[in-house]
Amino acid sequence: MNFNRRTLIAAASAAAFASAPFAASADGLPRNVRMVIGSTSTGGDTYQNSAIVAEALSENLGINIKVDAVGSTEAFKALNRDSRGSTIMIFHDQSYLGNLYGRQGYDDPFANYVVGPTVAINPGNAYLVPADSPYQSMEDILTAAENGERVRVAIQPGGVSEIGFSAMKNAARVRAPGSEENIVAVNTGSQSDKNQAMWDDLADVINGSIQANEQFTQLEDGDDKAMRFVWITARDATLGQAPEAGMGGTTRDDMLAYASPETSVTLDGTNDFTFDKEFFFLFNPDMDPAIIDQIDTALAEIYAAGDIQERQKESFFIPNFLPSAEATAHLTDKRDTYADVITAIAGN
Amino acid sequence: MFEFISPLFLSLIVGGTMVGIIFGSIPGMTATMAVAVCLPLTYSLGLENGLALLLGLYVGGISGGLVPAILLGIPGTPSSITTTLDGHPMAQRGEGERALKIGIVASLAGGLISLLVLYLFAPALADFAIKFSYVEKFLIIFFALTVMAALSSDMLMGIFSGFLGIFIALIGSYDISDGGNGKYRLIPPGTEYWLDGGFSLLPVLIGLFGLAAILDQAELGVPKGHSANDVKVTKANKFSLSVFRGQKTNVVRSSLIGTFVGILPGVGGSAASILSYTNAKTFSKNPENFGKGEPAGIIASESGNNGLTGGALVPLLSLGIPGDSTTALLIGAFTLQGIQVGPLFIGNSPETWNAMIIAMLIANIAMFIMMYFAIRYFAKIVTVPKHLLFPIILMMCVIGAYTINYGIMFDVWTLLIFGIFGWVATKLRLEIAPFIIGFILGPSAEVYFVKSLESFGDLTIFVTKSWIAVVLWLLIIGSIAGSVMISRKSKTRA
Repeated sequence: MNFNRRTLIAAASAAAFASAPFAASADGLPRNVRMVIGSTSTGGDTYQNSAIVAEALSENLGINIKVDAVGSTEAFKALNRDSRGSTIMIFHDQSYLGNLYGRQGYDDPFANYVVGPTVAINPGNAYLVPADSPYQSMEDILTAAENGERVRVAIQPGGVSEIGFSAMKNAARVRAPGSEENIVAVNTGSQSDKNQAMWDDLADVINGSIQANEQFTQLEDGDDKAMRFVWITARDATLGQAPEAGMGGTTRDDMLAYASPETSVTLDGTNDFTFDKEFFFLFNPDMDPAIIDQIDTALAEIYAAGDIQERQKESFFIPNFLPSAEATAHLTDKRDTYADVITAIAGN
Repeated sequence: MFEFISPLFLSLIVGGTMVGIIFGSIPGMTATMAVAVCLPLTYSLGLENGLALLLGLYVGGISGGLVPAILLGIPGTPSSITTTLDGHPMAQRGEGERALKIGIVASLAGGLISLLVLYLFAPALADFAIKFSYVEKFLIIFFALTVMAALSSDMLMGIFSGFLGIFIALIGSYDISDGGNGKYRLIPPGTEYWLDGGFSLLPVLIGLFGLAAILDQAELGVPKGHSANDVKVTKANKFSLSVFRGQKTNVVRSSLIGTFVGILPGVGGSAASILSYTNAKTFSKNPENFGKGEPAGIIASESGNNGLTGGALVPLLSLGIPGDSTTALLIGAFTLQGIQVGPLFIGNSPETWNAMIIAMLIANIAMFIMMYFAIRYFAKIVTVPKHLLFPIILMMCVIGAYTINYGIMFDVWTLLIFGIFGWVATKLRLEIAPFIIGFILGPSAEVYFVKSLESFGDLTIFVTKSWIAVVLWLLIIGSIAGSVMISRKSKTRA
């Protein structure tokens, strides 16, 4: 076989072309990055948030980032396989709540991965009752439990949807030990299933969200589908950053009335329980730390420019950039608090 | 009122429909993928224009599935399975173009009827849909499962195959997103890493229908001249609208079944065409012809699955709850634009509502025109020599399987495993159609059955829950009785 100059140039070009996806850019991140997310939905909040962040990062770093909605199990597998930095992940509090609730497929993310920067909060996690419910507030619900009344709460078990339910049980325990047994879970699936559980009179309270359920709270009296908010789990400081007009017929002030401190679900008798659904990066533990620094720096520049905040707020997200070190400390504290809540009600 | 209509609006619908048809026509690519790929583009297009694009993709993607179903025997989308049953036998006897045109006309009818229902009755239908609890949804799935008996050439083997399909579909975890406990079950030891999520539907589907057929043909070898001239198109088997004579009831019934299934969140698009097909067969004067190239089967399947398009938008626009996986993505388009969908959407956003109806109408017409006149070129695929065609199909199947869940290699292995399984299964006299129907409907049947018992206590609830449950039982009994009668009649004739 003869190797002439043309053959060698062609071979070198082909090799360069083939290795292009893996070639690192000047700052460490590969040119083509796959951002896996812990959701299989490309219409949900995780995808929307990730798409916004991926687009901004791509522009800032001059690389390609593709968001793949592979779901949590496959996302963790993909992250485990790749320490080069060509696979990174965005997910939310479900990543450690799944582990705390003992769900299969959820390792401890703090022990097995590197927790990266936070980027945004979805402040919408909420609990609702039928419009004609005897319960006007969380106070009524917890009092009913104290009085021996069984309160059924529709949730999707094992994560974000369950943590508010656990907090309700914990609050009942703190107020009147033993009354937490009267707050029982109705395990359902999607938001549609939770709504249906309410309409079928299988649940007295349902987990929902401001985004998905707000219009049901605006329905006229007598409509079987009508609902009322009783609790929004976000911190008041988070909700305070939402647009003043709020969403639909519910203003920001209306929302704040359903959140701590106006609506109190106690954590320990002194402080209120709150939960912000935060989106953050996860990295392979063996990935070059310089890549994490690169992402931190790029995000700091992006958030300093300010455009991404507008984009996030348009989709009812609260911008929440924290660099990796701060994010890890913050999320570790948060995880420890929720671990205490779950432990406190274990067996009830 | 119609300020949103602009050249851009119209061209996005037409372009979206065309891309959707292409996605639907490629085995393993679906309407959902087409919408997912184009969703980010809608941010810069604005709401009405963005929806025009997405609805075009939706209608085109659902409709395009009939092309590979008929010509290659590979359902382009799960809702095209029943189209394969009669469409492919027609293509094999030289009536591919005719079968495609029947399917396209039926698709148009299904799309327009469901659109009319959506426009006139959306809020009222949403109120009706919420009367369907776990119990009624289980009974609908059970009703659809009865088609397993009707589709079997050997009823006992067919039902066994169906149950095998259900069993294999349950491998994996009882997903918490369905309200399950998230625990693994039925996974062979040592395979948890791959099988924790079970087998994905589309790779199984294209493996069983695509790869298995290729292996069958490979086993036969390629006899000399076995290609372009195999299939002759004669005047006798050309398309004429007269084929729809006597099919008006079938078209309307199937379209309404599709629409109705669409308005029930969680029942799934495949159930629409399966239920339409079962009913068409049960009420047909010649039920024994179904599965052998009966045009009424294609009409039922295609008007059923296109009927779904309008139906699935009912809960989306009236309750903010998507009716199927594709409409779930449309919520993303609304959220990107900061628009809420829920029970007040139609009243609060008349302009967007009108834009969606107009876009769906134009998309259906565009789909019809594009497919009807392009069909003669599509149909020529059967004249491509198989030694050239099959490697291309195989490549498309592998790419489709890999991309369907955004790049999971195990899906390619699934395709290969089920391709070989399908090839072996026919030698063991297992029946593929009941198997795949069991595989598709099994997980929903399980969830709704378990949730019914968890929610209401005991088995009597399946009869006593509501008048809807009673009606569904009557339909189930009718379907089973019909299948038994058809089976006995066939045996007597034999």
